[in-house]
Amino acid sequence: MTLKPFRMVLLLATSLIPLALAAIFVFLVRYSWPAIHFNGFGFLARHTWSLGNLYANPTVKHGQQVPIGADYGILVFIVGTLSTSTVALAIAIPVSLGVAVFLAEGLSARLRPLFSFIVELLAAVPSVVYGLWGYSVLTPIIAHDIGPAVRDSVGRVIPFFGGSIGSGYGLLAASLVLALMVVPIIAATVRDGLARVPAETKEAAYALGATHFEVVRRAMLPMVRSNIIGACILGLGRALGETMAVLMVSGGALNYLPNNIYSPVTTMASFIVSQLDSALQDPTGMAVRSLAEIALILFIIAVLTNVLARFLTGSRNVPTI
Amino acid sequence: MQKFRLTQGMRGAVAAAAIATVATLGTAPIASARTIDILETGSTLLYPLFNLWVPVYHRMHPEIRINTQGTGSGTGIAEAISGVAQIGASDAYMSDMQVKQNPAILNIPLAISAQTINYNVPGLNNIHLKLNGPVLAGIYDGQIRDWNNPAIQRLNPGVRLPDHVITPIHRTDGSGDTFIFSQYLSFSTPAWNARVGYGTTISWPAVQGGLGAIGNPGMVQASSQTPYSIAYIGVSFTREVARAHLGTAEIENRAGMFLLPNLHTVEAAAQQLVAKTPRDERISLVFAPGKFSYPIINYEYAMVNAHQADGATAIALRNFLSWAVNTRGGNAARFLNQVRFIALPPRISALSRQQIAKIH
Repeated sequence: MTLKPFRMVLLLATSLIPLALAAIFVFLVRYSWPAIHFNGFGFLARHTWSLGNLYANPTVKHGQQVPIGADYGILVFIVGTLSTSTVALAIAIPVSLGVAVFLAEGLSARLRPLFSFIVELLAAVPSVVYGLWGYSVLTPIIAHDIGPAVRDSVGRVIPFFGGSIGSGYGLLAASLVLALMVVPIIAATVRDGLARVPAETKEAAYALGATHFEVVRRAMLPMVRSNIIGACILGLGRALGETMAVLMVSGGALNYLPNNIYSPVTTMASFIVSQLDSALQDPTGMAVRSLAEIALILFIIAVLTNVLARFLTGSRNVPTI
Repeated sequence: MQKFRLTQGMRGAVAAAAIATVATLGTAPIASARTIDILETGSTLLYPLFNLWVPVYHRMHPEIRINTQGTGSGTGIAEAISGVAQIGASDAYMSDMQVKQNPAILNIPLAISAQTINYNVPGLNNIHLKLNGPVLAGIYDGQIRDWNNPAIQRLNPGVRLPDHVITPIHRTDGSGDTFIFSQYLSFSTPAWNARVGYGTTISWPAVQGGLGAIGNPGMVQASSQTPYSIAYIGVSFTREVARAHLGTAEIENRAGMFLLPNLHTVEAAAQQLVAKTPRDERISLVFAPGKFSYPIINYEYAMVNAHQADGATAIALRNFLSWAVNTRGGNAARFLNQVRFIALPPRISALSRQQIAKIH
């Protein structure tokens, strides 16, 4: 009973987080409500985004005041977001598992803290730094080296990797930058899990005659399965929401879907930031509200991936950093 | 003895505190009570000019401190309306509806700018290809896909055009350059006007492989990195365009002449529309009549609220803007030549001064 005031403070602090989440959701729904009403479900399926004629007087459509010719469809950005995140994870997961195993098992105990620190440091680098690097270093390399190499090898078998390479800006550049940002998150989380595998388990496996590799693969990795899935979801969350770095290297596609891995794309998050400036010029306000609706969809996608993660791990304790 | 170790959380807190300290020191007000702060934000095309103006003006008037930011024309207009910025820089004027909603915001031209059409076609960057509105509209709406398309060949007889796909590059951010480029396409090509129209952001027709770039620097970078691309770039970036070895196209005007932007062709175009410029100075200068008029030029605007929060700021704004539009002040050739802008014609600077006088 003496703890009661303390408990109250804790309760207050704890309830702030779900309250903030609910407040964001309520705000997004309320603010974008006219846009939701105007756009309908076609919002998700149309791939034309047009603010309409901002210099003519607006018309009234579906009971809403909108610029003439306004048409908001975000299929291109949904595809851009999901494709960059998927490719990024496909690259990042094997790399980060390798890094995690190396950090946990492949290093001497003396070097382990140093290398772990370096990997964690990568996660602390602001994303715009990765973006700048991608913009000035990575895109020319993709245009001249990586792109032709991939096209002439994998591209001969899988058409999605073939075709025109273009300028280097696009899906591949965005995915590589995202992968670089996601690797330290996944690697650090999985390494923490591997470090917590009981010594008895490892010793038992060794006692059965397993090699070092078999101990890692058969005994340790299965034990941290839920860590791995949780880490991947954390990484996916980062990739879905990344804004600046993607904006700088993705090539800003508008109104068309990517036809190969080098195509320019646009993600939802980077589209919101790049279009806010223009949307503010819409005197009816429908453009900004439609951007808010994109934010709402992004929010829902993020929540869904987290729910999926819980479902996949089959437990309620998805690890977090 | 146990060593004192910082836990993870403490380390973060220490770092945050250090950053906060540095940040506060960096921005600590060194102002005396009399200093007047003016924030200028908006157009990235005007940004270099303001950066030339401000140090010179500050030396003459140390009590007035002007901070400049290149954020985009849309932000400039929005922050002038909200009052965050005292001067919102914009390459585009406000629409009728925006003016109706915000009658206190003045659209004051400060100078005249132009735009070049640049391309990166290996072997042809040293000559000036000839292009016109319908061909550019065709390139940007995907109907003209290759450099050796008959429509381009017809404008450039005798030039060996490569059999290569064109990559059109457009601005991703809201931009006055997009505004005047799409105006040129709309005014010269009825089909473009009907299908796409003009604005600071437009719904670019789907051209597979078409690229988006951010800001004029991004346009230069993307274009120099992408062979067989085409881009529209503000004239204040001419130096960067030359450094990237891009080609500059001669553009067809209303009279059917193919011209490059220079002092004479831009001035000739501006002269055509001086008489038509209304008192609120909101008018497009694109596709002006006249034999020697370069077709893609515009007024560069300062968006200023006529009702300032206090009298001292209003006086400071009036003084600074009057200096800016004066040919013995900010409109002097020594400033404008550096960014390749053209001074306001006398009648226009008189109109601007009339608007400036309304600030109180």
